[in-house]
This record gives sequence, C-alpha cells and structure tokens, in this order.
Amino acid sequence: MIRRLVLWLDDRLGAASFARRALRKAFPDHWAFMLGEIALYCFVLLVLTGTFLTLFYTASGQDVTYSGPYAPLAGVRMSAAYASVLRLSFEVRAGLVMRQIHHWAALVFVAAIVVHLLRIFFTGAFRRPREINWFVGTGLLILGMLEGFTGYSLPDDLLSGTGIRIAYSVVLSIPLVGTWLAFLFFGGEFPTPIVIGRLLVLHIMLLPGLLFAAVGVHLAIVWHQKHTLFPGPGRTERMVVGSPLWPHYAMKSVGLALVVVAILALLGGLFQVNPVWLYGPYNPTTASAPAQPDWYIGWLEGILRLAPRGDIQLFGHLIPGIFIVGVLFPGAFFAGILLWPLIEHRITGDDAPHHLLNRVRDVPWRSGVGVGVLAFAVILTVAGSNDVLARFFGVPVEWITVGLRVALLVVPPVAGYLTYGICRDLNGGAPESARVGRWVRLRRSATGGFEEVEPDGPDRGAGTAERRGH
Amino acid sequence: MDGVRRQPRATGNASPGRPAANGHGRLVGTAFILSILASLALTAVYAVGGQPQLEGALLAVSLGTLGAGIILWARDLLIPEEISEEREPEPSPPGMRAAAETALQMGGRQLTRRTALSRLLIGALGALGLAALFPIRSLGPGPGRSLFHTQWSAGARVVDNEGHPVSVRDLEVGSVVTVFPEGFVGSPVSQVLLIRVEPGSLQLRPGRLAWAPDGVVAFSKICTHAGCPVGLYDASTHQLLCPCHQSTFDVLSGATPVFGPASRPLPQLPLEARADGVLRARADFQEPVGPGFWDRP
Amino acid sequence: MGKRSAWMLGLWLATGLGITLCAGVTPAAPLTTSPQGPAGGRGEVLYVTHCSSCHGLGGTGTPQALPLIGVGAAAVDFMLTTGRMPMADPNQPTLRQPPRFSRAENDALVAYIVSLGPGGPPIPTVRPERGSFARGGQLFGENCAPCHGADGQGAAVAQGQVAPSLHEATPTQIAEAIRIGPGPMPKFGRQIIDAGDLDALVRYVVFLRHAPDPGGLSLGHEGPVIEGFVAWLLGLGLMVVAIRLIGTTT
Repeated sequence: MIRRLVLWLDDRLGAASFARRALRKAFPDHWAFMLGEIALYCFVLLVLTGTFLTLFYTASGQDVTYSGPYAPLAGVRMSAAYASVLRLSFEVRAGLVMRQIHHWAALVFVAAIVVHLLRIFFTGAFRRPREINWFVGTGLLILGMLEGFTGYSLPDDLLSGTGIRIAYSVVLSIPLVGTWLAFLFFGGEFPTPIVIGRLLVLHIMLLPGLLFAAVGVHLAIVWHQKHTLFPGPGRTERMVVGSPLWPHYAMKSVGLALVVVAILALLGGLFQVNPVWLYGPYNPTTASAPAQPDWYIGWLEGILRLAPRGDIQLFGHLIPGIFIVGVLFPGAFFAGILLWPLIEHRITGDDAPHHLLNRVRDVPWRSGVGVGVLAFAVILTVAGSNDVLARFFGVPVEWITVGLRVALLVVPPVAGYLTYGICRDLNGGAPESARVGRWVRLRRSATGGFEEVEPDGPDRGAGTAERRGH
Repeated sequence: MDGVRRQPRATGNASPGRPAANGHGRLVGTAFILSILASLALTAVYAVGGQPQLEGALLAVSLGTLGAGIILWARDLLIPEEISEEREPEPSPPGMRAAAETALQMGGRQLTRRTALSRLLIGALGALGLAALFPIRSLGPGPGRSLFHTQWSAGARVVDNEGHPVSVRDLEVGSVVTVFPEGFVGSPVSQVLLIRVEPGSLQLRPGRLAWAPDGVVAFSKICTHAGCPVGLYDASTHQLLCPCHQSTFDVLSGATPVFGPASRPLPQLPLEARADGVLRARADFQEPVGPGFWDRP
Repeated sequence: MGKRSAWMLGLWLATGLGITLCAGVTPAAPLTTSPQGPAGGRGEVLYVTHCSSCHGLGGTGTPQALPLIGVGAAAVDFMLTTGRMPMADPNQPTLRQPPRFSRAENDALVAYIVSLGPGGPPIPTVRPERGSFARGGQLFGENCAPCHGADGQGAAVAQGQVAPSLHEATPTQIAEAIRIGPGPMPKFGRQIIDAGDLDALVRYVVFLRHAPDPGGLSLGHEGPVIEGFVAWLLGLGLMVVAIRLIGTTT
C-alpha cells in the first residue's frame, strides 16, 4: 500500500532523488540546537489553540450586559469582546484550558526565541554565511512580540485595555505624524470601539501570515545551509555530522513536539493565567495597581518607568519623552540586534565562512557585549515590575526606581567587563595563543579531518576582534 | 556522497545482545499504554462536562508519555547511526555564477535598451503604489482639533458616574471622586478627579485659586505621560500616583509632577460653586489633556 | 485577651504564613451604650493607661499624635479592632496587628472617646448580603482597585505607603475604612458611597477573599510578573531539561 503510494507520487513528482537525500540528511542533535524547535512547536500549538479560540471570540467593542454564570459580573455592562472571553472561560467546555494553554504557549514561545537567539549569538552562529537567517530570526522575535501584545489586548479586560491605552499614547508622541497615525490606526481618539476588531485582524491574519512566511524562510535556509557544529575531534568546516533525519532525528523531533505540548498543557491545566474575570471589563476611567504587561513587553514598560522627565520643545513643537524611550529606544535596540552580524563584520573584518561554532569563551569581547546587553534588558524588565517589587520588599517604589536607574547604568558595563575578563582567563590569558593551543589539540586527536581545517586556519576573525577589543 | 558510519554508540549494555533493548521496548510500550489510557480518560472527562485541571493534566500525560515513548524508541531501540554529509559550497562554482550573471544581464539589457519605456514602466508602478496608499485615509478621521478640547464647557454641571450633580457639601476634606460634565458620564477624555483639601493649603498658580471653591480642586484624570487614569490618591501627602509608570503629582501645588516620567502637571479644570453649592465648570481646560503630541503648545 | 482577639490573632498569624484562611463573616454587632458609662468608667481607665501618653489626657492631642476629640466612633473602632492602636512605639508604621482589647474593652474605649466630643462618622452598619454583587464590583474597580489591586491583596503606593491587603478585614472594618479614610486612604462619605453602595462594596470585598480560581493555582493573583516567572522557569525550564535528555552534549 505505502509502496504503491510512493510509486504514484514519484510518477508525478519525480521526487525520489530529493526524498532519498532528505531522508538521509545529517542532523546534528546537540541539545542547544533544539531551542529553536521548542519555539517552532510553541508556534504550531498557538495556531491550533488560537483557531479554537477564534471560533468563540467576538471582536467587538459594542456594549452588552453580562448574563453568564460568573455571579460578580452579572448585569455589568461590558464590551462584547470581554463577554465572549468570559463565555469562553466559563461556558465553553474545554474553553478555559484552551485559553490558558494558548496564553502559556505565547509566554514560552517568546522566551524560547530569546534563548535561541542568545545561543546563536554567543556561539557566533550568525557569522557568514548565516547572516540572512539572523535577520529573519530577529524579525521573528519582533513579530512574536507584536503577536503577543495584540493577543494580550484582545480580551478587553482592564489590564489589556490599559496596555492599548499606553500604546496609543506612544504612537501619539511621534513627531509630525503621530496624531494622524494614532487616529488612523485607532479609528479616532482613544478609546474607539473598532480598535478591537483591527487588533484581531493583526493577531489572527497579518502577523501570523508574516510569521508563517518568516518561519518557512528560516527553516528553508537552515535546511539548505545545514546546521553548524560545535568544534571537536573530527569536526571540520566542510562536513556536517549528525543523526539521519529518518527515522532517528524525525522521531526525536516529533517526541520533542509532543513533550513541548505536554508541558504547556500541564501549565494550562494547573496554573491559572490572566484571570480576566478578576480584572473586570475595560473602563477608560480606571486602572488597577499593579498594572503589568506580559513579560516580553516588560523591558519596554521598564524603560517608560525608569526614564526621567524628558519632554523636548523644538521650534514651538513638543517631542514628548515617551517618543524617545517608547519609539526611538526600542527602534535602536532592535536595529542593533538586527544588524549585529554586519556590526561584528565591520569590527573584525572577518570574511571567511564559518560552520564551526565558537564557544562562549572563544571571543571574549563579543561575549562581553552580549552579557552587557542582556543585563541591560533584564534590568529594564525588572523595572517593569517596580511596583510589585516595592510591595514584595516593603520599600518605597521611588527607591526601587532610583536604584534601578543606577543599576541600568552601572551593571551592564560591569557585567560585560567581567564576562570579558572571565572568558580571557579561561583562554589562558592571551587569546590568540589560546586559540592556537586549541587547534593544536585538534591536530593531535583528529587525523582525517585536519587537512580540511587548515585552509580556514585558526579563527582569524575572533583573533582580530580580540585585539580590537582591548 | 554521504559517508555513513554505523557507530553503535557506547551506551553501556546497548550491545546487540538485546536483553536491554527488550527492557527498553517494554518501557516504550508502557508509555504508549499510559498515553492511550490518559487519552481515553480525557474523552471521558470531556463527556461528563469537563474540568480544566483534569483536562490539562490528562492532556499532558497523554502527550507527554507519547512523546517520551517515541523519544525512548529513537534513543534506545533504533540502531545508533551517525552520518556525515558534505556541505554545499556557498559561493556557487565560478562558472555557474558567471552564467547566472550573464543571464540576468542579457535579460535586463533587453529592457533597459528601451529607455523611455522602462522609465514609464517605473513611473506607472510608482503611481500605482501611490494610489494604493490612499485607502489608508479611510481608516479613521483626521485628528483636527479634537485633542485640544474636551466636553467641559462654561456652566457645565459636575456629575458623578451615576449622573448626580456634585455639590461642595457632598465632599468631605480628604475625599476624592471621579466626575464628568453633565450629559457625558463615563467620557474618557473628560474624566476629572475632584479632590477636597483644606482651602488654605492650596498653592496654585496665580489666578487659579478661584478655580477651587472651598478647597475643591479638579484635575484631568488622564496622566500627561502615557494617558493612564491617575487613580491613586494619597490623602495624607496629597499626592496622586499613576499606577502605570508611577508618575506622582502634588495636588496642593496644582498637580505638578514630583516623581516619575511625567513632565507636565495634570491640567486643572476651572470650577465654581453657585449658591446651591452645585459645582460647575467655568470653562473647558485651558490646555490639552492627556499625553503629549507634536502640535501641543 | 478575649476569645475574639485570640481568634483574630490566629487569623493574623495564619495569613502571615501565607495561608489563605476562609475567614467567617461576622456581622457587626451594633454598638450598645457601654454599661460602664462613658466617664470615670472602664473606658477612661483604659484610655489613661493605653492612649493618653500620646493622645493626651482628655484626647486633646500632643505633638506626637492627633487629638481624638471628634474623630468619631468609626475611626476609634477601626484603629482598635485592627490592632493599629495602641502603638508600642509612636514612630512605628501603623500596620494591622492582633487587637489588644477584648470586645467589651473595645466598646468601652470607643464610648469614652466618643463622649469627649461630637463629630466624625459613627460605626457603619453593613449587611453585605443585601448588596448588589455587580454594583460592588463596579465600585471596587473604580474606587478601591487603583490602590488595593484587582483582587484586594494590596499594592504599593507613593512614598513607601502601602495599600494593605483587604483579605483580613471584617465587613465592619471595611465599611469603617471607607468612611474614615485611615492614613493615606481618601475618605468616601455618604454622598459618594451611600449605604446601599457600602453593602455592595463590602459584599464584593468579602467575596474576593475566596474568589474562585477555575484556572488552577492562583499564583497569588500577582498577574503577569509571576506568570512570566512560571513561563520561564517551569515552562521553558522543563523543556530545556527535555532537550538536554533528547540531544547530545558534544
């Protein structure tokens, strides 16, 4: 039966040659290479659960009176969107668990992308020829955050409405065109009943479409370029070593997919997330404390909280402080991440293709920069919950804010410099000789592979970088 | 092309002798049986009405054991195999690259030879793109002057969120209430905080003390930073705090910002109390309420 | 220490340990005129012993503490039953403590201080069961949640002030706090929150104490911050453990 199907397909597609190569493709199965797969399977689960949720969600800001089973809200006026989320949570069988799995999957999705990105960064996997996939991957991170933010906004509860409110104010602050942009996107002055429908279009059509396309490109490029490898005995720039796709890697990957979904199902069933019934319907005249976004928006919320007053008057016009910290700063931050392969190339002048990875210690200056930026982002994320911390530690929120302002300026350089020093020490002081020493070790243990390493020589780029990093 | 090396990985007793493999086989089988049971239980839970915690836990068991079984199968029952495969060279071979370049140029030259036509083509595409941009205008109204005024007007009565007029007598010193212009209860742009303090304690800008009859002072509730409702009033320090970014405003000095990211004071609404004690607005706000924007003076 | 204070102490300790106790709702017993009589009776003795060193003899106030003449029964009863008064040290923050006095002592003290001068709101009578759930939730969202949080567990406000958790307060204490505005809290008079609103609000606050958590573990209703931690540590953490087991390490 299967044989006949295969023959039928090959008669029409002539795919046997491709299939044979694909089935016998070598997949390195280092655990750190599976971080991206976690994100991928979260995305698949998000699409599946999201489809279920869409069937019950009403994207409307129209006023309705709640008459469902949640007694404390009986008779309360609310938007049809919020009422539909309550119905989904309390009346649709398996609705609440689906909603919670969806929310947890979103939180883990972005987290997995971030960890995957850090792995790529610290091991130098973005170097030539993989710059394009770095760009696509960074785009996926931005898309994932936007997707998360639009999703967070859909239930139209008090917390999510406050988030939209802040987003509106940030758009409004853009010089020259801000008021127009805000009015066009929101369909008028905030709040408008139509914005919820527009967010849904973004959340279930435009952004997922872009995500699908970018994921496709991302995977196609990985497939074509083949995975990187950690350096080791017998590892060369020319060859990729791993398990065959069929059946070894395929089974591991399917198993991982199931385990990822299982963990999210566990979270979705046992841990309550975003109890919108507790927050109440959105009401533009109230906001409850503490007010927080989901974690991946925390750093943007944090910079808004930490930034001191910063309105600028320019030729009789106003540039609000939130434009600088809410638009320019994230723009620059993402630009820096996106363009990193080009920035590093500019610094090192390294033009050689690299298929063997760096260890974190191999390029101390890059690792230093990475840890510094990471520390910066973490402090901002912490700042996004300064009011929660204030209550937790029982200190005034002003102290936390001032303390984090200082930490934001002090900790990243210190952490970066320490990382730099530790990496250098691990390399035995002088980085160049340490690298040569490492390659000597390879020379001793790998007999066949040596010739293939030689043309690339010791990692020139990293060495150059090292000198400049002083 | 791919150098296949069959390497039985040295994983203890995973030799072809198979007693261990049998043990693993039993483990994998058990995992699949557990998965089947959990899935059946899941169906049963759903059928009897559903319960979120059971649904999540059973789904997790069902998928988790299935996944674990497959992974164990792949790890312990398949013959371990490590293959190596040659990478494709990144720059294509020189000949191929040159040929592709030529093909591109040959085709392109045919187009660019017709200079006038190709320029017109670019022009047509540009015009089409421009025309396609215009429907964006349909998305919403232009801002106009709408950000510069609210629904407050001279003589508008101050009402609470049930529409009852508020008079000075209703407010004790140390109390706070959210109010609206009559006829616009719940209006997001016109929301105002009415706070009563000891009249002598106010230090407002010249001329604005008259806007606060008997110590009843009114400020726009929309934060001048990012637009959240400034809902936290500390009656002991007379400070207003925004829950979103902790901008803090000092009520006694005219809601000037004293901490946090907000730069501008909350706009003050001119109030008056007629003989009946009912509070009315003397006029609209003197400046735009809410967060800043380009054209804001 | 009376039976009631022992019960309060137990409740306070239990919540201090982070256990959410389902506190029974004790309807407020209307304050009866103290049998001891206002002056010269038990109330005055207690006042002189416990209060006069800061508030002055006769409630006239001292540089250390406010005068008590005319503060009203609600304020005195609130401060005493929540253990905020008397303070061991006038510089300590006014936090909820186990109450110091028995019900009878409490009533005597209230009666004595009220007898010092007229003014201030009386102890409100609340009947939460009569209140409208929806109205209560709405009022809570507008007036209380900005400081005490959507589930009433408290939050930090400016300058180190904390809006405390409402989960330990009795219905009468909730109503008293609304009327008198203790500490940094604004007060809400009858014109802003009438008797029916008060019943509704108290009903909602009492409900929040055992608000159902159909989604599973409540995570302390701490919102997105703790959710982020769980997603990272438990969600992604378990998945990283899984890939460590699935993948190789070389």
